[in-house]
Amino acid sequence: MGVSSASLAAPPRRHQRRLRVRGTSITLLSQVRERAEAELGFGVDYELLEFPTCQRRAAMEPEGYDVYEQCFHNLDIVWFWGALQPIDINRITEWDNISDLAKEGGISKYAWRGHGDAPVRKLYVQPGGFLGPKPSRHISMLPTVYNMDSFGYDPRVFGMAEDPRPSWSWLLDKRAKGRIALVDEPAIGLFDAALAAEAAGELQFADIGNMTIEEINALMRLLEDRRRQGFFCGAWRDGDQAAQLLRDKSVAVQSMWSPVYGKIGPHPGSFVEAAPTEGYRAWHGGASLSRHLGGAELDMAYEYLNWWLSGYAGAVMARQGYYISTPERSRTHLSPQEWAYWYDGAPAAQDLYGPGGEWVVRAGARRAGGTYRERASRIAIWNTVMDEYNYAARAWDRFIRRIQNGTAAEDSAA
Amino acid sequence: MIRSSNPFAQEPRYELITRVLRSNIQRGTLPEGLVLLEGPIAAVMQTSRVPVQSALRLLMSEGLVHRFEGRGYLVGPQSKGILPVRRDIREFTLDVPDEVDDALQTRGTWRHVYEEVEEQVASCQIFGEFRIVETELSDYLGVSRTVARDVLARLQERGLIRKNASSHWIAGPLTARTLREKFELRSIIEPAALRMSAPYISYAEVEQLLEKIDSGATLTPESLSDALVEFCIAQAPNMTLVEMIRSNRLLLSSVNRALTSLGLPNDEATIDQYRTLFELIARHPIDSAAEYLRDQVQITAQRNLARMKIVAVISETGAFAPYLLPQ
Repeated sequence: MGVSSASLAAPPRRHQRRLRVRGTSITLLSQVRERAEAELGFGVDYELLEFPTCQRRAAMEPEGYDVYEQCFHNLDIVWFWGALQPIDINRITEWDNISDLAKEGGISKYAWRGHGDAPVRKLYVQPGGFLGPKPSRHISMLPTVYNMDSFGYDPRVFGMAEDPRPSWSWLLDKRAKGRIALVDEPAIGLFDAALAAEAAGELQFADIGNMTIEEINALMRLLEDRRRQGFFCGAWRDGDQAAQLLRDKSVAVQSMWSPVYGKIGPHPGSFVEAAPTEGYRAWHGGASLSRHLGGAELDMAYEYLNWWLSGYAGAVMARQGYYISTPERSRTHLSPQEWAYWYDGAPAAQDLYGPGGEWVVRAGARRAGGTYRERASRIAIWNTVMDEYNYAARAWDRFIRRIQNGTAAEDSAA
Repeated sequence: MIRSSNPFAQEPRYELITRVLRSNIQRGTLPEGLVLLEGPIAAVMQTSRVPVQSALRLLMSEGLVHRFEGRGYLVGPQSKGILPVRRDIREFTLDVPDEVDDALQTRGTWRHVYEEVEEQVASCQIFGEFRIVETELSDYLGVSRTVARDVLARLQERGLIRKNASSHWIAGPLTARTLREKFELRSIIEPAALRMSAPYISYAEVEQLLEKIDSGATLTPESLSDALVEFCIAQAPNMTLVEMIRSNRLLLSSVNRALTSLGLPNDEATIDQYRTLFELIARHPIDSAAEYLRDQVQITAQRNLARMKIVAVISETGAFAPYLLPQ
């Protein structure tokens, strides 16, 4: 095809540079994207997917994205599929300021590391392409956002006392029968269920972060037994589904992610966040580079990664209840009241609002679990992709399908 | 599918058997009066009895053999009143044309269909536990139950299937533990066998391999792995140990092929690693090669465990052959 005279006459149109980001609802917020575009001077396209889909497509179709924003625990899938390239920490401006929880494994030398995939165990690229905790110049994923998760509960069911001592065992508690929901992600929800089984005294795991086949079978048998008795009313894959279950199924206890509290608004009477006596199930998110990146595209990706830790994005994350690996840089982007509530565990001096301006915290409320240090020193387990993950994930999927097919009633009648 | 240029390859087995018996009767190798029994003939022909029965009936219709009062058939026409000669057919040196022999060895036997079944059975196991129904397998393959049984026996020998308490054939589930145990065993027995094999290794072959690698010849890690076993490890003067090493490797290589065929990135030791290993074997005390081999097996184990996790993202929709029943 010939070049038309019109296009010759027109001034050369500058090709707009764009960065493609694949990730989940944890970090792919429009407030972050718009600010990044404004400050970086290039376009940022978000592709927002559910956890399992995101993970599968990131592993199998690395050409489809430049930056991958997900959690450390799924590096076992995506890294070993060969979809990512190492990040050079010499190109990360905030590297020295990243918190010890990510780089060392705990907030202090003496803090318990938690079972399972603590991010440090997947952080550094080791000889032979393996991932491990021994510091090296290259990392698999830049640590960004994280949190200590628990479950939420209806105090009218479990007691209104000042200190009701919430326990993971409530996820299998007959007081909540028919009103229990779990998060449908085998590296996450399975551990909520495992913590519940241990806390309820039903099962004991030699290493809850790396179960044997027999332990997985025992856990799935227990869950199936409860399902047949009609304990579970649903399972969810993202925050919207979780909030919907709360509204439609009057859930009494379920796995929770912090932003879901924002979605249901500040109604502490009917559903509150637990600070479990057994400790939290933690996760750590981050950003990785697709293996195909090189040259100017790779430079853009590094710019975006560095921007992520420079303050603004961390403040947006804080408003949905998440911590950032460089908190001091984000502090200046938060009001003192916001910082006091989210990081220091102080009572909210005023009503607080989420990333989209939605009302999430009532004045006077305190964050469950207290200060950052209190919460971060009580990590029982991390989201984990165990050695037997393939086996566990398939068993988990079958269990979730049975919940969703609504066979609970028929089976309990049979 | 195996294609053969052998003109007899497409002939039914009973016709091949008929052909062999007919020519041996006609040239007198099998004397008049010899009692032909199905069992010994089946053993000589390495087949089941069914095609032998058909062959004998066919020869009877041709008048070359006939029924008598005892068990079996007598060589020769009925009318002559021939007396039975009871001798084992294996005492006679039958003339079997090579091409017929070849066709008998492969046609319709398990070898024909084995590879396809092995891949299906090995790859299904990552999705969980399956029962294999013998009749459905023979229907699926269009072979007799005898052949299906041979296929199953081979799968069992490779460690891909087992019988459960109710005598059903069961495949899987393939777990990280299975892999870990197999590799642990490799890291114990292979270096031990390599040490023992030192005086018996075909060093000339190893040197040739090194030259080939250095000349940039196209070699696959699989072929180098086989060479390591054949030229070195299998030379160990302990048959039981060598047999154990071979059978322990069978499942691992089946699984490896199956995972690769499902689209997983290949994860073999590199040519470089084999080069180092062969060099240590050829030019250094055998202990250094044995230590290196142990390290390499352990690293390969880690890679394979990592690989087992990533198969979790492979969806199982419509992935199984009809004779595989999810349990």
